[in-house]
Amino acid sequence: MQRNKIAIKLFLIASIIFIIGLWGIDFGLNSRQALSLSIFSLSILGTVFFWEFRLAFAFLGTSILLISKTIDIENLILSSSLEVILFLIGMMVLIAMLKEAGFFAWIITLILRVRTLNARRFTIMVSVVSALLACAVDEVTSIILMVAAVIEICDYFEVEPMPFIMISVFATNIGSAGTVLGNPIGILIATKSGLTFEDFITKAFPLMILCLFVTTILVFRIFKKDIQNLDRKMKKLGANEMLIRLISVPPEQRLKKALFIFGAALFFIAMHHRLEILLGLEPNTILIAVPLIFAAFVMILKHERARKYIEEGVEWWTLLFFMLLFAQAGTLRYIGTTDLVAHKIAAFTGSDRNFLIGFTIWASAIGSSVLDNVVLVAAFIPIIQGFQNINLGPLWWALLFGGCLGGNITIVGSTANIVAAGILEKERKVKISFLRWIIVGLLIGVMTISIVWACLVFLPTYR
Amino acid sequence: MKVSDIMVVKVKSVLPDTPAGEALEFLSKEKISGLPVIDKDNKLVGMFTEKDVLKYILPGYLDKVGSFVYEDNPRAIRNKVKELLKERKVSDIMREQVIVAAPDASLSEVARIMLTGNARRLPVVDKNRKVMGIIAREDVVKAFIRFSQGEN
Repeated sequence: MQRNKIAIKLFLIASIIFIIGLWGIDFGLNSRQALSLSIFSLSILGTVFFWEFRLAFAFLGTSILLISKTIDIENLILSSSLEVILFLIGMMVLIAMLKEAGFFAWIITLILRVRTLNARRFTIMVSVVSALLACAVDEVTSIILMVAAVIEICDYFEVEPMPFIMISVFATNIGSAGTVLGNPIGILIATKSGLTFEDFITKAFPLMILCLFVTTILVFRIFKKDIQNLDRKMKKLGANEMLIRLISVPPEQRLKKALFIFGAALFFIAMHHRLEILLGLEPNTILIAVPLIFAAFVMILKHERARKYIEEGVEWWTLLFFMLLFAQAGTLRYIGTTDLVAHKIAAFTGSDRNFLIGFTIWASAIGSSVLDNVVLVAAFIPIIQGFQNINLGPLWWALLFGGCLGGNITIVGSTANIVAAGILEKERKVKISFLRWIIVGLLIGVMTISIVWACLVFLPTYR
Repeated sequence: MKVSDIMVVKVKSVLPDTPAGEALEFLSKEKISGLPVIDKDNKLVGMFTEKDVLKYILPGYLDKVGSFVYEDNPRAIRNKVKELLKERKVSDIMREQVIVAAPDASLSEVARIMLTGNARRLPVVDKNRKVMGIIAREDVVKAFIRFSQGEN
């Protein structure tokens, strides 16, 4: 039965790739372009059907691109966005240091340090902390910390954690659109578009807050019963002090030092554009260098832990996958596949700005609801780069928000969703069904995407 | 010296559908920390150890969230223990991937497997995964001492 399932999946993949290849040629691609599109689709389909083998698929796909002379080694390396990978490595070392210093317990106290805690305030805190955390660290780290915190807290109050985990996931996906750091998408778009950290803070962050606000109001209505139940339990089982005592905050000094170092890194990252101008450096130089400098500093300060931070703190599996994915997407650009697609889309939409914004946000949202956000965005970037004679600014924001908000629609929409659902199933043997999720996710997704779409089209800030 | 020379042949074991509470009592009575789980055909299907019990009781994300300290005992953990004792069977708790040794393995080979696999005890199984014996770390150490003193 297992073998049959695998055979069916492989057959499906082969068929889809073949159809895509043929369609590509029909669309006007030459054979090399069609091949690169097929290979890229192979990687993507590999992640859909064989999630655990995705890296193997990426390795194979990249090798085929090289051997078939679709791309040469030099351009493959250039396309792999090594600067993004280095940035992520630097940040992951810093986060490993933070976690070791007791960041998790600090998060829990942050959520609970509300005077006269009740269920409404708790829900708001879960929402806000999830979003802000997702702004500062990668989505997987932030969702693991939040889900663990929610489970511990819900266990204490003897309520079902599922609704609050869903709320946290929604907020995490929304929050990851707020800054350059939050999600690999942010840094990817920033490096390819020339948008700076400050641009994200002034243009993306406010939109993110708006989406978060609307979503929080929605979840108050959707999960009304669960919130009321929690309220009853909170009143019955007593105050927060007991829970804070339950999970202690570690030695203040160590955590304070860690938070200071992390905060300093964030500050310099935020200032990167100004520093680059001041020092006459190429755009994004400081953006990439800061995490590396601070990571180096941490590795010297904690030299006995340095190896552990690198070997266990850095998510090599994920990074390698991203790197090869970027290389394959870059190949699509290199041989003109995405330029052709961009050209056809522009012709179809008449290069109308508003139409293109709508197309970008909804296409990326729908794509992101079934594929991993990063995969989707990696594929879309070269298409946007292919549009000519158009102000690309609002299109980048459309891609950012489409990619992040679309992740809320289905349970597989984003890595955060998958990780959260996995932990919930493992710890509480509760399985969230695809249908259960999509009922809520679709509502929140459509609402938030529509709001962003309207802002991008009508607000003068985005012209 | 081969492992078949020094292994314990009378293997204390437990069946997969034994209630977990009963299995724990057995561990305590026999003063051992783990047991191989063997089915009715004497085939090895898992290992049931105190470590696996702790893994079951505590949340699985502990190694992913970084450091913190449990000052007190969360209700959830207490409930998990109750659930384990009342409802769970050995097959729910045991680990299925078991590191084993072949009967003709040398003493040094067994020691290597124990070190690299971080295993305190190894079931000794034949080609069909039928359990022939078991060897614990202390048996290996004692055997090395005898070996060094020139005994066979």
